[in-house]
Amino acid sequence: MSRHTICKTSEVEVGLIKPVTIGRSPIILARLPSGEIRAVGGYCPHQAADLKYGCISGVTNGDTPNELTFDHAGEVLRCPWHGFEYSLVSGDPLVPAPANTKGCLRFYEVAIEGDNVIVIM
Amino acid sequence: MPLIDTDVHESFSGVRDLVPYLPEPYKSWIDGGGWRGFSQPFCYTTPGRGNRADVQNPDGSASVSDYGVMRAQLLDYHHHDYAVLTGYFYPTALKLQYGLASAMAAAYNDYVAEHWLAKDKRFLGSIQINARDPEAAAREIDRMASHPQIKQVMLAVVDDIAYGHPMYRPIFAAAERNNLSVAFHHTVFAQGPYGMGLHYMERHCLIPIALMPQVISLIVNGVFDSFPNLRFMILEGGFSWLPHVMWRLDREFRQGRVEVPWIKKLPSQHCRERLRLSTQPTEDITPDQWGKLIDLMGTDELLVFSTDYPHFDFDNPNVAIPRALSDDTREKIFWKNAAKFYELDIPASAVPSKAAE
Repeated sequence: MSRHTICKTSEVEVGLIKPVTIGRSPIILARLPSGEIRAVGGYCPHQAADLKYGCISGVTNGDTPNELTFDHAGEVLRCPWHGFEYSLVSGDPLVPAPANTKGCLRFYEVAIEGDNVIVIM
Repeated sequence: MPLIDTDVHESFSGVRDLVPYLPEPYKSWIDGGGWRGFSQPFCYTTPGRGNRADVQNPDGSASVSDYGVMRAQLLDYHHHDYAVLTGYFYPTALKLQYGLASAMAAAYNDYVAEHWLAKDKRFLGSIQINARDPEAAAREIDRMASHPQIKQVMLAVVDDIAYGHPMYRPIFAAAERNNLSVAFHHTVFAQGPYGMGLHYMERHCLIPIALMPQVISLIVNGVFDSFPNLRFMILEGGFSWLPHVMWRLDREFRQGRVEVPWIKKLPSQHCRERLRLSTQPTEDITPDQWGKLIDLMGTDELLVFSTDYPHFDFDNPNVAIPRALSDDTREKIFWKNAAKFYELDIPASAVPSKAAE
């Protein structure tokens, strides 16, 4: 395991994707509304789309057709290709993944030291 | 391994790009803003809307899929040997003003020849036509067929045409006499039997149900028999339904041949001999399910690989076709089946097994 100082905490904002590269590994940073910062493997577990082109969204919900609610803004990552939704809280897909794919986002451990974002991988 | 991508969508920035290629009076109509072009009657919901979100111009704006971006993201990145351009401007979708639609088809073909085909020998082309005027479509096929990169005629799947109807025969005759195949691809107007549905997801699930009737219509109405040298390609319409359609057609033919005696072979034989289907979207089936499907089809020579670049439901060639399939089957899907269909030569140096000899 090695520690990598990536950026200042102020550079990681809720609702935005901050792409970085550690060695040859692309990762993306995202801040949850709770303030927690996520470091996520940079390729979609479905078909390996580059997640830096994805978007941070929330959860649409609803029990009645054509009546949508929207909450948990900032807690969902959508793939830039097929639009698969992943929880940035748990890493799990919002719809169970296909049987032949990895399924979940890959999270890396994040530490905050002073105003620095440290990724441990 | 060589790679032939059978469904790649080139585009233009808008119908005004056709103005230099249009005759009067259509040139003035379009130049004057008389029509803004087709627009889908729904809202896309994925991050890149209709496209992959990473298909961007250098300034970060959404790209309309220009050559430089396509070359970097697709042709060079995935080491394509060939990419079959299939367009996304289908004049058949215009339900009136046939003269304008036919003129726009010709203008679009000239635009593609100059702005796409001429830029890269890896591109193969499709002739766009206005199928609602079959005689004019046949003349356009004859006009474009001599282009060395042109390989097929594109038949747009809309909401009111089943191409087996006798009125479309001039199109198939023109394709056959020019040794071109015919390809079928949905448009934003394609529908299921009860309409387009009420949601984008619903509409997208209905696309295969718009393609299956084309196969049935072509076979039952004798197109396969009338044009014995013609080959047929189903693009982006799914493929897992083919065993059902073949079984059903064969059964119905056995009990109903009396009505359609012009069908001279079992429909499933027609399909296996001259129908091919592109793989995208691969629907995330498991390797075991892939094997079962191929067994049900009776051959691994029916599927041809496609990405659908730049659209959002792109299939990544490194991931979409399971590595658990046999090398022989993967080679057929990735290039051999398409090379045979389009009568393409793959340089021997591109084939690892031959390069090593």
